[in-house]
Amino acid sequence: MKILLAGMNHRTAPIEVRERFAVDDPAPWLAKLVAGGEVEEAVLLSTCNRVEVIATTRRLDAARHRLRSFFLRELGRGELLPDQLSSHAVLYEHVDTDAVRHLLRVASSIDSLVVGEPQILGQVKDAYRVAAESGASGPVLSRLFSTAFAAAKRVRSETRIAERPVSVARIAVDLARQIFETLADKRALLVGAGEMIEMALEALRSAGLEGAAVANRTPAHAAELARRFGASAHGLDELPGLVAGADVVLTCFAAERPLLDAPLFEEALRLRRRRSIFVIDIGVPRNVDPAVNRLDDVYLYDLDDLGAVAEANAEERRRETLRAEGIVQEEVDRFGGWLTALAAVPTIRRLRGRAEAVREAELARWAARAAPDEASRRAVEALTRAIVNKVLHGPVSRLRAHAEREEGLAYLQAARVLFALDDPAAPGAEADERDDPEDREPGGGSDEA
Amino acid sequence: MVTVLHQLSAAGYLVATLATALGLALPDARLARLSVWTLFVSVAAHAAGIAGIQLVAATPSLTTLPAAVSLMAWLAIVFALALLRRGRLESLAGLVAPFAFAATLYAAFTLGGVSPAASSGDGRWPQLHVILASAGLSLLGVAGVAGVLFLAGNRQLKAKRRGSLRRPLPSLEALDRVNVAALALGFPLLTLGVIAGMVWSQALNGHVWDGGPHATWTGIAWVIYLALVLARFAMGWRGREAAACAAAGFAFLLFAVVGVEMIS
Repeated sequence: MKILLAGMNHRTAPIEVRERFAVDDPAPWLAKLVAGGEVEEAVLLSTCNRVEVIATTRRLDAARHRLRSFFLRELGRGELLPDQLSSHAVLYEHVDTDAVRHLLRVASSIDSLVVGEPQILGQVKDAYRVAAESGASGPVLSRLFSTAFAAAKRVRSETRIAERPVSVARIAVDLARQIFETLADKRALLVGAGEMIEMALEALRSAGLEGAAVANRTPAHAAELARRFGASAHGLDELPGLVAGADVVLTCFAAERPLLDAPLFEEALRLRRRRSIFVIDIGVPRNVDPAVNRLDDVYLYDLDDLGAVAEANAEERRRETLRAEGIVQEEVDRFGGWLTALAAVPTIRRLRGRAEAVREAELARWAARAAPDEASRRAVEALTRAIVNKVLHGPVSRLRAHAEREEGLAYLQAARVLFALDDPAAPGAEADERDDPEDREPGGGSDEA
Repeated sequence: MVTVLHQLSAAGYLVATLATALGLALPDARLARLSVWTLFVSVAAHAAGIAGIQLVAATPSLTTLPAAVSLMAWLAIVFALALLRRGRLESLAGLVAPFAFAATLYAAFTLGGVSPAASSGDGRWPQLHVILASAGLSLLGVAGVAGVLFLAGNRQLKAKRRGSLRRPLPSLEALDRVNVAALALGFPLLTLGVIAGMVWSQALNGHVWDGGPHATWTGIAWVIYLALVLARFAMGWRGREAAACAAAGFAFLLFAVVGVEMIS
């Protein structure tokens, strides 16, 4: 069983590329992906900063090929990447331990654009839930994602990475303070909705921001947000006037093309006598035309800009990140042990199958010769079963224990050779043909009689 | 004594300048505090030095160039320190300090060599001219430094990186307010200073405009500032444009008033 991860993130692909690969609902994409059979289990994680697929496979090369074409032909809709970007530079690929480590780093927010930001864990959880509900995820990814959640929890509680969260919200407040002397007499405008942007607004409010207005496509949604923030609710048609009245504009809106352009801001600046406007646009695709930043008195920060600011603080957080990496490595090793042990399951099952087949055959021969009464037959049945279990108990436990380490593979190999377990003609070989997922879990089988 | 006090305050301004520069590069708030406290001590020594000029001279006069330059620097630091009450403007005060350093150093080396007799500036109008014009110039100078800081901060925010600076510059809004206040106060003071100078010239030469380089260049600078004040308050210029004008305007004014005087 191989684990394969492929994808792109804020470091390998600029926002112009990422926004073309972003997916709203992963479920139908996952169904398409696993239908081909190259990959067995799959989870698709699509956030503003990354699009990644993690999958399990028995045919690594076929799965690699499948994931590449899944990204380039299906998610990317066959459109060519910009000239200066090769798909090899944009798409990264990790296998086995590297894939596991990557996922754990993502969930622990070490790989995030803003290290330590809390949203990513929720997004990873959502991605897994969708895959589990749609049946695309199975026992291996289930175990892998629980390991990732556990690692993220440990990183949060055992390091100070979360104590000083350098979140988009905090950066927004920091930048606002560089533009405005005080936030107490300033007003914000929230266009759209989203966890990150709402947190930014909340942070600005607690830093003293006076009032807020909320604009949304659906009046009901606007009204609900407005209630939560004690703001006024508006429709999108009021945007020009609203921008003129706002010192801070926050946008996170699902729209294919920019909602706010340079002429709109020019008019707003004229109306507000050129008082500065701070714009935070975390929509993907972007909601504000990048040309707006060329206007005097408007300071536009999109997701990538906020990320660059965060990157500048990376040095100060490096020590905590190093400790987090240590925790991730521990969890990677733990999962690696479980995964290696998984390789022991078919061998153990065949060994038990072989012993059981011999026992049943001998029992049948004895019964045919001695014609025992029912009580004797039952007694001998129990006796032989006990002997087989007792004889196998030691070797099976030791195989399983050793299998958690890489060198345990030698014992598995030895067991297969000594008992001729790979001989399909041998009795009990058909035990391997069953494919009950529960049975694949080490310790989850029924070999402890 | 006057020279020593000027040398001391020059040293203090230099320390404040260096502490400010280091304080912007290193994330240590203590450097910014050191800079501010050094400025307070230096400005006190400097005040004593200026008072000394008046006490030592046979006929008290501020109209010599070194004395006027010293007064201008002192007023600029006082104004910058007064602004600290309004907000996070430590780095503004710290960046006015290098100008004060240069001015006091120049005064320290030249004050002794000027004989009172060389000055024709006895009487009320000449003193008033120097005090008013110096106050105006110092305010416009602080506006100029605030303008330079605004341009730097604006550039950082637009380029979206903080560069080598580890501590943030003052907020753009605060710097713009400094620009407004300094212009609103500095330009009338400069105007009154020019009028006082005209009265002095009238008394000395019999006409308000002597046509010399000082008067001509100052006149041009005054017209430039008048245009700037109109642009700012009537046409609503602000932000980057106002900051750039304040910086350029002050550079020209410094040349017109002090530079021309030094050359001629």
